[in-house]
Amino acid sequence: MRTRSLVFAVLLSTVIGACAPAVTPSPAVSPAPATSAPPTAGGGGTLVVAIGADPGQLNPATTTSGATHTASELLYNGLVGLGPNLEPIPELAESWVVEEDGKVYRFKLRQGVTWHDGRPFTSADVKFTFDEVLLKFHSRTRASVGPALEAIETPDASTVVFRFKHPYAPLLQQLDVTEAPIIAKHIYEGSDPSENPANLAPVGTGPFKFVSYAPGTEIELARNEAYWKPGLPKLDAVVMRIMPDAGSQVIALEKGEVDWLWGLPGPDQQRLASDPNLKFVRTDRNPGGSNCIMTVGFNLDRPILQDVRVRRAIASAIDRQQYVDLILFGEGRVAEAPISSGIAWAHATGLAMPAFDTKAAAARLDEAGWKAADGGIRTASGVAGVADGTPLKIDFLHFPSFARYGELLRAQLGTVGIDVALKPLDPPVFADTVFKARDFDTNIISYCNGTDPEIGVRRMFVSSQIGPIPFSNAAAYRNPEVDALFDQAQQTFGAVPRTKIYRQIQEQVVKDQPYVWLVETAGTRAYRLACMGFAPYAQFAEAATCRP
Amino acid sequence: MTGRYLAWRLLQVPLAVSGILLVSFLLIHLAPGDPVVALAGEHGDAAYYAEMRAKFGLDRSLAEQLGVFVANVARLDLGVSYVLGRPALDVVLERLPATLLLTGSALVVSTLIGIALGVVAASHAGRGPDVAINLAALTLLATPAFWLAQLALLALALHAGWFPIGGMTDPRSSATGLGAIADVARHLLLPMAVLAAGEVAAIARLTRIGLLDELRQDYVRTARAKGLPESRVLTRHALPLAMLPVLTVIGGRVGHLLSGAVLVEMVFGWPGIGRLLLSSVQARDIPVVLGIFLVVGLSVVFANVMTDLAYVRLDPRIRYR
Repeated sequence: MRTRSLVFAVLLSTVIGACAPAVTPSPAVSPAPATSAPPTAGGGGTLVVAIGADPGQLNPATTTSGATHTASELLYNGLVGLGPNLEPIPELAESWVVEEDGKVYRFKLRQGVTWHDGRPFTSADVKFTFDEVLLKFHSRTRASVGPALEAIETPDASTVVFRFKHPYAPLLQQLDVTEAPIIAKHIYEGSDPSENPANLAPVGTGPFKFVSYAPGTEIELARNEAYWKPGLPKLDAVVMRIMPDAGSQVIALEKGEVDWLWGLPGPDQQRLASDPNLKFVRTDRNPGGSNCIMTVGFNLDRPILQDVRVRRAIASAIDRQQYVDLILFGEGRVAEAPISSGIAWAHATGLAMPAFDTKAAAARLDEAGWKAADGGIRTASGVAGVADGTPLKIDFLHFPSFARYGELLRAQLGTVGIDVALKPLDPPVFADTVFKARDFDTNIISYCNGTDPEIGVRRMFVSSQIGPIPFSNAAAYRNPEVDALFDQAQQTFGAVPRTKIYRQIQEQVVKDQPYVWLVETAGTRAYRLACMGFAPYAQFAEAATCRP
Repeated sequence: MTGRYLAWRLLQVPLAVSGILLVSFLLIHLAPGDPVVALAGEHGDAAYYAEMRAKFGLDRSLAEQLGVFVANVARLDLGVSYVLGRPALDVVLERLPATLLLTGSALVVSTLIGIALGVVAASHAGRGPDVAINLAALTLLATPAFWLAQLALLALALHAGWFPIGGMTDPRSSATGLGAIADVARHLLLPMAVLAAGEVAAIARLTRIGLLDELRQDYVRTARAKGLPESRVLTRHALPLAMLPVLTVIGGRVGHLLSGAVLVEMVFGWPGIGRLLLSSVQARDIPVVLGIFLVVGLSVVFANVMTDLAYVRLDPRIRYR
C-alpha cells in the first residue's frame, strides 16, 4: 500500500509540476502598453502571418537579420520607400533635393508624424538613428554609407541634410525600412541600442503598433490609428506566428490557420496551384536581402584554378537551366549577368557568358593541360604549379541547405572529367573556412545584390574585400581596373553614366570568370483569398484586409 | 541510512553539473564557427567584426573566457545572449515552462499507458493481446519521431482536422482562464502523443519482461497458494518489484525526452527550449546554449537522484549507506 501510494505521489507531483505552466501559458515578454489597446476602427480583420524564425528582438536598426526584419518592418518606416522598380518614393521624407552633384542630399520631413507613444517625429530622430545606431550596428549601412558620409545636419525640426565626402550615388536606394529604419531618439538615447528594453516592446512610426511578443510563439501587432497615411492600415491586427518547420507552415496555410506565407517551396506550389482558396505572388525581394544570385566561387589562390581556361571550361560544362528546373522548380531564372536583373538599370544584357557546351569545355581543359583518360578523371600534364599526373579533383563547400546544387554540379562536371568532392558546412563554419582559412577550391554562396550594386555587388569583386570579412570577395579576385571602376560608379551621380560603368565592370568580370553566376532566385508569397491588398515586401500588409 | 545517502547524492549534483558545464564550455568554444559572423551576417566591415568580438569578450584567450564564465556562473549569471541582448538565463527560463509541460506530460502519459500495456501483455503472455502489444511497441520503437510527427500532422491535423497544426495557442483566440487552458491542452495533445509514443513502447516492453520474471518467483507462488486472486498477485506483489528496471529507465528517459523535444518542438512549432537550443547552436549564441545545458543537466541529474530514492521505497531489500 505504501509503495503504491508513493508511486502515485511521485507521478502526481510530476503532473502538477509539469502542468503548472499551463495556467499561465508562456507569458509575453512585455504586456501591451496602455496606449496599444486594440483599435475600435479599421474593420479590416486579423491577418495571421507565418514566420520561420523567432526574431529574438524587434529592433531592425541594429541588425540585418532577416528574422528580425520580417517581424518588425511593419512597425517602422524609412525616410524613403522603394517602388516596384526600386525607385525611391516618399515615406518619412516628403521630398528631397540632391545638390552638388550628389555630395549633398536635403530631405524635407513629413509634418505631423508621431511615434506610437504619441511623441512627434523630428529630424533629431533621423540624425540619432544614423549616428548612434545604423552607422554602428547595421552592418550593411555602416559598411556602405559610413565611409562616404561626412556629417548629418538638422537645420530645423523638419529638415535633414546628408553631406558626403564625395558624390555618393546610391543613397536613395539605401534609406528604406530594410536598409535604414528610423527609430526614436527619446527611447534609445543614452542606452546601448542592442540591449535597450524597447527592442522587445518597440515604438515606431509604422502602420502597426506593438502589442505583445511571446518568444518562440507569436508577435501581435495592432492597427496604428494615427498612421500618417490617411485611411491606412485597414487591418485591425496582425499576428506573426513563429513556425520553424516549412512543411508545417504549408499545412497551416492549407487549413486556414495562417493567411500569409513568406515562402512556398516549389513542389508545394505545383501541388497547391489548383487550390481555389490560395493565391501566389512571385518576387525577388525579401526583408533583409533581395536580388540574390546563386554563385559558384573559384579560389583564385589555388594553382589548379588560376588558369582562366579551366574556369571557363567549368562554366561551359554547367547546364544552368537544370538548376532552375530541378532545384528551384521554376522559382528563378538563369543568371544572364553578374548583376541581378532585379536592378534593371545596372544589369547588363548580351554579355559573352559561356554557353552550355560540354565539347567546348573538354577542348578548353585539353588546351589547359588537363588530359582525359578514357572517360575518367582528367590528369595534369604540363600545368603550371601542378605536378604532372595530378587528378583534376576540386572540393565544393556549401551550406547543408544547398546540397542539391552540389549534387547537380558534381554530376555535370563529372561528364567532362572533373571530380567534385562535396563538403557541406554549417553557415558559421562555412564562413570561417572560406573567408578566414581560405581552405577551399570552389564554393557556392547566395550573393544578394540588394537594391543597388553598391550594397551587395561591390563586395564580391573589389580587392579591399579580400580577407576575413564574411561573404565578401570569396574568389580573392584582384583587378585594379575593376577596383577603380567601382569607386567611379559610387561617386558618379545619375543612372545613365552609372549604367555605363557597371556594364564595363560586368564585361571585365565575365572575361576573368572569378565566379560562375548560376541562377537568380525568386521567392513566392502565398496567401489565402480571404485576404487581399498585399505588397510582396516591406510594408506588405499596409493596405491589406482579411474577411473573418 | 537514507538521510545520509540523500545528503551525499545532493552534494554530487553541483559536481556533476559543474562537469557538464565545463565540458560544454570547452566543446562549444573549440568547435569551429564564429558567433560574430553568425550574428553580423553579410556586409559587415572588419572593424565591425572586431568591435563585436571585443564586446562579447571573444577576443580574449580561452582561459580568460573560462575564468569570466566560472565567476559569472558562481553568481548565477550566464552572461548576455549575443543575439538577443538579454540575460541568457532569462531567455532560457522563459522558454522552460513550455518544454516542461510537453516533456512532463509525455513522461506521465507514457509511463501510465506503458505500464498498463505491459501488465496486459504479461498477463496474456504468448496470446493475442501480448503479440499485438509487442508488435505495436516494436513498430513505434523503430519509427523516427520527426517522421511520426509529420505523419500525425498530415493525417490527424490536416486531413481529419482533429488537432491544430502547431504552436501552443490559437493566434485568433482571445480566451482567458479555463478557455486558455483548454486552448493550450488542445495544442499539446498531438506533440505530446508523438513524443510519448516511443516511450510508451519502451516502458510497455520493459514492464512486460519484468513482470514475467517476477511471476516466476517463489513469493508469487506463495501468494497464489494462499488463494489470493490473480489480479491482486499481479498488481500488489509482482508489479512493484517489476517496476525497478522501469523506474531506472524513466529516470534516464528524462534526458531522452528532452532531446526528443528538439525535433518535436521544431515540427509542431512548440515554443520550448528544444527549439531555442537549435537556433542558438546555429547562431553560436554561447551564453544561451550553456544556459540550456545547465537546465537540462540539472533536470537529468535531479531525475536520477529521484530514481535512486524511489528504489528504496519500492524494494525493501535495497538500503543505501
